[in-house]
Parts: sequence; structure tokens; C-alpha cells
Amino acid sequence: MEETFTLLPLHIDPTTKLITCPGISTKQLSDELNTLNTTHKTLLSLESPHTVPPPPLPINPKRSAQIQKMREQGNAQLAKRSSAGPPAQEHVKESLKLYSYAIEMALGRPQWEPVQIVRDEVALLMSNRSQSFIGLQAWPEAAIDAETSIECKASPGQSKAWWRGGRSLLEMGRVEEARDWVLRGLEVEGGENAELSGLLEDIEKRAERRKEREAKTRAQK
Amino acid sequence: MVNWVSLSIPIAYLGVLVGSLVTFSYLYRRRKAAKASSLASWFPPHLQRNIYLSLLHHEQVNPETGKPVQVPDSIIKTALLRRAAEDINRIISLRNAKPALGNLLQKGSVGDDLWQRFQRAEKELEAELEDVIREANALAPGWGQHIFQSANEINANTRLRARIEEIQSKAEPEREWWAKRREELRAEFMKELDEEGSGKGEKSKPTTNHGSSNAAKSASVAGSVNSEEDGVLVEDAGTNTPSTPSLIPPQTGGKNKKKNKK
Repeated sequence: MEETFTLLPLHIDPTTKLITCPGISTKQLSDELNTLNTTHKTLLSLESPHTVPPPPLPINPKRSAQIQKMREQGNAQLAKRSSAGPPAQEHVKESLKLYSYAIEMALGRPQWEPVQIVRDEVALLMSNRSQSFIGLQAWPEAAIDAETSIECKASPGQSKAWWRGGRSLLEMGRVEEARDWVLRGLEVEGGENAELSGLLEDIEKRAERRKEREAKTRAQK
Repeated sequence: MVNWVSLSIPIAYLGVLVGSLVTFSYLYRRRKAAKASSLASWFPPHLQRNIYLSLLHHEQVNPETGKPVQVPDSIIKTALLRRAAEDINRIISLRNAKPALGNLLQKGSVGDDLWQRFQRAEKELEAELEDVIREANALAPGWGQHIFQSANEINANTRLRARIEEIQSKAEPEREWWAKRREELRAEFMKELDEEGSGKGEKSKPTTNHGSSNAAKSASVAGSVNSEEDGVLVEDAGTNTPSTPSLIPPQTGGKNKKKNKK
């Protein structure tokens, strides 16, 4: 790197310590300064012994514990809905809220913490929230959450997320998409998954029936 | 005795030879250096580095007190962290480009000056990394050890979050699409029922209330060829209190139950 640099006419607000650059206004620079200022805030929130981001590992266990607790509460709410008490829908809504909070917390982790942890947590939470949406018959949201879950963690062991996504697509009548999705899932999960295979059968049946119906309407015309 | 006169000719010959070689080499090298430095640099200007160094050399006077404004340490550290993050991006892009570029160079598909630019970028980046580590150690003892680890995680996290946001932002249009589609399906279903005009159709009419409209539509999607099956399904949805036509518990058993219903 050359020993020179471009001096930018930066300006620091004496009280808020926000950095701005009044002279130049390119999008790149203002974006970068925004990131700088937000990162600065997270850096200031560090606990006292650290003045710089600590190494990625070990992480602060507090947030993980909170997230896990919320997830378990959500699971409990979801499990309760078949029992007596308030209508099942209320339980599902409650679980949805808990999962959403937990997702927010997981995504709000300081950025220097290992990305793998965020991926694992968000994958699990999104998959569970997808289940809540299925409970509310909000198929598009359920499908999107399942997709996010898979995006975060595409390794085997995600059969629930695959199943939930496939089911939601099927419920919306998007048979082709559902089939592609489930086939992809079977590929990742190793092809010996009873639930996914069962869903695939359902999808094939639905596709056949649709074909028959189309043939019938054509015949009528 | 040495005959200086007869020796002077070879000496002059050698002198001219060496002199011309030296001149040639000097000129050649200078021209090459000038050419190399005139090559465009591999990366765009290092914005984060500029910000960091600008902050270090920052001079600003507070208009109220007349004293110079101190740049807080934490901001300088943040700026260094951003600089390290950008360096990680550059390392990755250089590493990805290297094998491909080497291949193209061997085949003669790209010129030599591209390769020179690449090598210069590598050297610059190496110096830049050392510089960042030195600065980090100066700001906080031992930080140089893990500043790049942190920077790497920051990059990965930023990418993941952008991706999640991208997928989640699809939810809104999907929901709108589904609301419209559901109406269409329901209208179609009702029309079919009217056409059939059978007792089963009548039975399913009350299901138009909001809670079970989903079930009605999913039944119509399921294919209304077999009207008997539809009747059963809709009835099932209708009897199950308006709120929860078919909730699936997370356990396997629940899923099977749902499958059996269909």
C-alpha cells in the first residue's frame, strides 16, 4: 500500500460523537460512515474489561441462555394448544410472539460473535416459527420461514423445516414448487426420511388429481 | 615496463562497454518502474483506511470552547475494525482470483500487466495487514492477535443478515398473492358447488366464515373431482370450531394424523 492516503474532511459531533463528512456526499462514503457509527455504538456497549471486541470464542453465555429459554417457552405454548384452557389459537399466537422475540435477539447478537451460532439458533427458531404459522394456517409466512431456516443451515438434521416448507407450499396449491422443494430436502437429508417421503407421496397424488381434473374440464369443453 | 599507450585502447573499450550497459540498465529499470506504477491498482481506493487515517490526523476545533476536539479512542478502534473487515474482503477476493488468473496467464488469454497488477495488489495487501496488526496492538495490547478473526465474523454476520432480510422481505408480496389467490379459489369452489347443486354443497356453505375459509379453499385445491371427498373434508373443517380447523402438533404422530385427514 502506498504510504499516502486521502484526507477526508470528517467532522465529529462533540456531544454525540457521530462522524459525518460534510464536504463529500457519495453514497459509498455515507454508507460506510453509517456502519461505522452503528458499529461504534455496539463497541461502546461492551462490558468494562473489554475495550475492543473479544475473540469470537468463548462467547457470552447470557444471550444464548435467554434465547433458549424463550424458545422453550414457545415450544411449551405450542405443545399446550391441544390440551384444555384458552382456545388453541391463542397458544399458537403466543408461541409465535416468543419465537419472533427470540429471532430478534439472535439476530441482535454483536457482529463479532461467531456466525455459526447465529445460524444454528436462527435455523431452529425459524423452523419452529414456521410451525406456528402453519398452526395459524398462514401458509406464505410458514413457507418463507422454512426457507430462511434452510438458508441458515442446509446440513442434514433439518427435516422438520423441509417438511414444513413443503406442506405450506402444497397447501397453497403450488404443487410443482412443493415437489422441487421436497426433492431437494430428500437429497440433503439422505433420502431415507419417512415424513418427507410421505409428503412427497401426497404431493404426487395431488398433482395427479389436478391432471385428471384438467383432462376432465378439457373433455367437457 | 607496461606500455600505457597500447593498453589504453582496451581499457577505453571496456569503459565504453560497461558504461553503455549501465546506462541501458538504468534507463530500462526506470521505465519499467514508471510503467508499473502507472498501472491501475487492483482495488478501488481503500475507503476504510482513508477514514481511519483521517481520524488519526483529525484536527477540529470546538467553536464554543476553542479547544481542539478529541477523537474518542473507541471511534478509532471501530474505524480500525472496519478497515480490517474490508481487508478480509480483499484477501478473499485475491485468493479466489489467483488460480483462475494463473490459468488464464498460462494460456495467454490475459496480458502480463494484469498479472503485475495482481502481484502488486498482493504485496500491498500484505503490508496493509501488517500495518493493521501493528495499529491494533498499539491501541490495545494483544488485539492484533484476533482483530482479523473478529473482522471475519463481522463480514460473515453482515452477509447472513442481509440474506435473511432478503428472504423475509418476500413474505409481504407472497401474502398479498395468497390473499388474492385464496379469494379466486374460493369463488371457483363456490361456483362448482352451485353447479353441482347437491346436498353436500349446501352443507359446506356455512364454512365461508373466516376461520375455515382456508380449509374450504384447500379442499378445492385438493381437487373437487371427487365431490364426496370434498364434502367430508369441508365438513371436518366446519365441525372443528371456527378457530382451528386443523392444527398440526409438532410431533410425528400429529403429522400422521394430518395426513390421514387428507
